Amino acid sequence: MSVLDGIAIVGVAETAIGKLPGRSAISLQAEAGVAAVAAAGLAKGDIDGVFSFSGYSQAMMLHAVRVAEHLGLRPELAVVTDVGGPGTHHAALLNVAAAIDAGMCTAALCTYGENGISIRRSGRGRAPGTLTGGEDFEAPYGQIAMISGYALFAQRHMHMYGTTSEQLGAVAVASRYHASLNDNAHKREPITLDDHQASPMISSPLRRLDCSLISDAGGAFVVTSIERARSLGVPYARVLGYGAAATHHIPSQAPDLHELGGPVAAARAFERAGLTVADADAVYIHDACTFSVVAGVEALGLCVEGEGGPYAESGALALGSKCPVNLHGGMLSHGHAGGVFHLLDAVRQLQGTAGRRQVEGAEIVVAHGNGGVFSTFSTMVLGRGP
Amino acid sequence: MTGKPRPDLNDTATTPYWEAAARHELALPCCDGCGLVFFPPRERCPGCWSAELSWQPMSGGGTVWTFTEVHVAFYDDTWADDVPYVVAVIELDEGPRMLAGIVEPDMASLAIGDRVEVTFEDRPEGVTLPVFRVVE
Repeated sequence: MSVLDGIAIVGVAETAIGKLPGRSAISLQAEAGVAAVAAAGLAKGDIDGVFSFSGYSQAMMLHAVRVAEHLGLRPELAVVTDVGGPGTHHAALLNVAAAIDAGMCTAALCTYGENGISIRRSGRGRAPGTLTGGEDFEAPYGQIAMISGYALFAQRHMHMYGTTSEQLGAVAVASRYHASLNDNAHKREPITLDDHQASPMISSPLRRLDCSLISDAGGAFVVTSIERARSLGVPYARVLGYGAAATHHIPSQAPDLHELGGPVAAARAFERAGLTVADADAVYIHDACTFSVVAGVEALGLCVEGEGGPYAESGALALGSKCPVNLHGGMLSHGHAGGVFHLLDAVRQLQGTAGRRQVEGAEIVVAHGNGGVFSTFSTMVLGRGP
Repeated sequence: MTGKPRPDLNDTATTPYWEAAARHELALPCCDGCGLVFFPPRERCPGCWSAELSWQPMSGGGTVWTFTEVHVAFYDDTWADDVPYVVAVIELDEGPRMLAGIVEPDMASLAIGDRVEVTFEDRPEGVTLPVFRVVE
């Protein structure tokens, strides 16, 4: 038994996504938070725990208590987790589960999001505005953007396995197709492989359409005990297995591709769930770039190591396949404000509320991916409740 | 122009590295306990946690482990005069991997596995950076 067995994700919500001038990050998180509490069938007075992260465009001290103050809450616990990528939200679930088990919390509000576009105009931050770890030995060479860190790994994957730019393009096209089915996505206009190939090089081998968006947006979810979820009478998601791995911080200190933490995190999560990837009805992979999805399908075991490119090219990512990937459109097309939206959409699939992108009867959905530049990995296997 | 990022030259764990670079030498700490040569420099061996270290000159030779050509000046105009420029991870012959620039790269032929040797760039912001040049 694990403390994670006792929790249910009962409400999820997201704000509008895109360019939202004048909106502070905290107001976006609060808006999503209020909506998530309502979606859970709860009220302000029910929330006695706040878990959050500020995001990297404007990293803040004591962010969770800032959210609590903003919403007029005085919880026992106001906790920030910062694991990078999906790990931040997954680690929050672990914290909430422990808090509920310890009797310190009965219903937790978890809020994320940032205003990565509009923050630049405020002069208070940039994306990312935090110290990335390479201040002394990488930034002086112009290694200042996350995307060029990812490019280093995409290049090596191409060298080792023959992965092509067109295969990366297949990821971009599939993501945009899914976003076209999602009325709240930042970019919904369908794209073709030709559009991908014609988009300008950003950091070789990654083109503009290989890069995730930067968005102003907030997302939130509410967690309570399974017992409470049942009494609320709302559909919910349960945690079936959680696994993680942390190997390095800056790109130059990464192990080689086959030793990155992705397969390890996934194997740990599936083992704890007593399941395999063949049981998954859909997966959500944190897609800072198209290559992240190629690495992700390999790590999850949807294909063997090195075959992520051909797998993407085969059409296996799209709705209608056995295990579609990033049905909300991913950070490549739906929006990027810290990466919480993968988890939110995984929950929606299990609640049966994903609209035109719903996988009929979804029972098992997996959220997976990395933070930093393949620095930390986290895999969360979720199941439909009750 | 806000000026290029500059390392902290007053960090006692790394000053020998930057002092060596200023002399146009590449030097890294070697653990007296387990013999590990490591990068980036720090005051404790990441292999065995020994704090007994000696600085060793590197041969300056290595291979390109991976690279990217950056085409965009990210965030502001700091790198606008430099794009496109190459950032690479170099595997030194002594083992450690480090990130660095490649000077005068021939993009038509630059490839993972290329042999490189260290050279040095004296930057106007008052620091000397080890960089690499492809050798035949």
